[in-house]
Parts: sequence; C-alpha cells; structure tokens
Amino acid sequence: MPTELPYAADAEVSLTYDELEVLRLQYQRELAQAHVTVQTKFNYAWGLVKSPMHEDQVEGVRLLQEIYRAEPTRRRECLYYLALGHYKMSNYEEAKRFNALLLEKEPANLQARSLLQLIDKAVTKEGYIGMVLAGGVAALGTLLVAGIIRRASR
Amino acid sequence: MPPTPSATQPINVKLLLIGNASVGKSSLLLRFSDEQWLPEDESSATIGVDFRVHKMDVKGKRVKLSIWDTAGQERFRTITSSYYRGAQGIILVYDVSNRETFDALPRWYSELETYVSSSVVKILVGNKLDKEFSRQVTSAEGQEFAERMDSLFVEASAKTAVGVKEVFTDVVEQILDTPELWDNAAKGRDTSSGNGGVPGGVQVVGLHADNTQSQDSGCAC
Repeated sequence: MPTELPYAADAEVSLTYDELEVLRLQYQRELAQAHVTVQTKFNYAWGLVKSPMHEDQVEGVRLLQEIYRAEPTRRRECLYYLALGHYKMSNYEEAKRFNALLLEKEPANLQARSLLQLIDKAVTKEGYIGMVLAGGVAALGTLLVAGIIRRASR
Repeated sequence: MPPTPSATQPINVKLLLIGNASVGKSSLLLRFSDEQWLPEDESSATIGVDFRVHKMDVKGKRVKLSIWDTAGQERFRTITSSYYRGAQGIILVYDVSNRETFDALPRWYSELETYVSSSVVKILVGNKLDKEFSRQVTSAEGQEFAERMDSLFVEASAKTAVGVKEVFTDVVEQILDTPELWDNAAKGRDTSSGNGGVPGGVQVVGLHADNTQSQDSGCAC
C-alpha cells in the first residue's frame, strides 16, 4: 500500500481570510510599535505564501527574504517557504534554486525532495503546454500558407 | 456488521502527529508508510508540517488516511495549530529515553482541548523503545498517564518497527468504533468531524490572544 507522493501540504492549503487576518493584525501592530519579532514576521509570511492571491505570495516571499538575511537560525525554513512561494507563483527556476540550497545542506530532507518533484512535474507540464501551443501555431501557419498557395495558384 | 470493502468509497480519516521536537514523529510516519528508517544524522527537523496519504483496510473497511506530521519545534507552534481542524485522531508522541518530552505532555493535551472536540480519538505513543538501556519513563507511567488522559497507549520504536503498525491501526479502529467521527449520517454538530482529512479547512484560533472566533459554520458541504 504505497504512499502517494509528492505532496507539499503547505502548497495546497490556504488559510481563510480571517485566519490570515489574525497574523496580519499581529504583524501590523508590532510594525506600528516599531518592533516586529521574527516569530510574528515569519508567521505572517507563512500565511501569505500559502495564500491563493498572487500579491500575498509576492509579499510573503519578500518578508521571507528579509528574515533569511537577518536571521541565520531561521534559514532552513525560509529556504523551504521561499521555494514553495516561488513554486506557487510559477517561478520554477527560483523555486528550484532555493530548494537546491536547502537540499545542499540537508540532502536527505524528505520535504525538500518532495517539493523538488513537484517543481519538476510543474516544469514538465509547462513544457508540454508550450509544445502544444507551438504545435498549434505551426499547424495554423501551415494552413495559412496552404491557403495562400491555393489562392495564388488559382 | 458484514465487511463491505472494495468498490465502495473509502472512509477518509485525518490523523495528526504532535509532540516535542526530536521524539520521532516523522520517523514513525516514515516507518509506517514507507517501511524506512533514517539515522539521526540524516534526518532533519520537520519544517511546518509534512503530509502523507496512506490507504489501509481496517475491520473490513477501506480507509484513506491523511496523516499530518507537524513540526515539534517551538518556533512552529503557532502555525502548526492551524492543522488541528478536522482531525479525527491525534497521535501524541514522546521519547521514552527523554523525561522532558514526557513532562511536556500536559501542555500538548491542553492544546488539544483548545482545538479539537473531546470525541476525537487520542493515542499516546512512547517512542524509541530501542533505547531501553537509557529509558527514563517506565511503561507503567506512560500507561497510567494515558488512562488519565482518556487515551490509548502504545510503546513503539520507529527504528526497529516494533509497535508502529499498532499505533495506526489502534487509533483507526477506535475511530471506526466512533461513527460520529466519520459517518455523515451519525455526525453531530461538531467541527471535528469536518472534512475527513481532505487537505483544506485549517483554523488559526486566537493565535495571539485577541480575536477570531472559530469559523465553525463555514463548511462548504
């Protein structure tokens, strides 16, 4: 009875509006007091990255980058969620880059390995769509050319 | 009840693994789902949450387990609490060779009180049975505490595989014996019987004190 892989739970599941709002309010309150704790910032960034809204994801990734730079002890989770955030935004190259940094430090990390498979799968899928589109354009071109030739030879 | 497996829809069951850091939650899951074991220097602390799906037959019923493996590290405590909703079974893990992880259990139980209904099945697992030589918590102690907390109890070793399968079958059997947890017809009003382990439906309740009542009514079913 095999396990279904790959899967990144945090990539699929979003918080509700109210749930994210709790994290947002906490962050904004601390921001207003000019002292944001790393924990608050990380929690909010995590909630943003999980969001289905593109602008939330962008903001989440931005915050994670800041935490990554400022807090060496939080780097591994930042790398993971940066990879996840970019994956969700379809920035597969960036996603792979961050995930690779994590795998470099922890080659056996199953979460990172699973995420890598997900990214690769998405890249392949995108490649197929690209080919189909290109194929469609080529086919259309052929038809047009054929039409022109037919008309010209009349 | 005659067993009616196969063609019917499987019963969705959501399980949650909780407990202090480094007690072996992910190792128990890896042993159970992939029959694998990673030595300590190769395994890494879970980031946020990990997730596995596993199908099994219990009591003649097809069961699809969604197992949420939460990070034990303090820094993830807030975000992992968002995964409790909809869980029908909770696996609380401690390390028999580390007293501190056993002493931390009341805190985990009080978290359960906050996030899940009382009908949710709980199982207490003393892991790392292979470290018998450095045991710090006796079986009797574990058993007694589990009884007090209205929980099932198993000692196990993810390393040697002893007791691991029992952890999951015991908790699932008890869930199947509690129809209100999974049978729509028998379902009560409780959120805990929510969406049967389908990824979705998370809840962050009053993370930092103030605000958000739970969105109990919000099931889109």
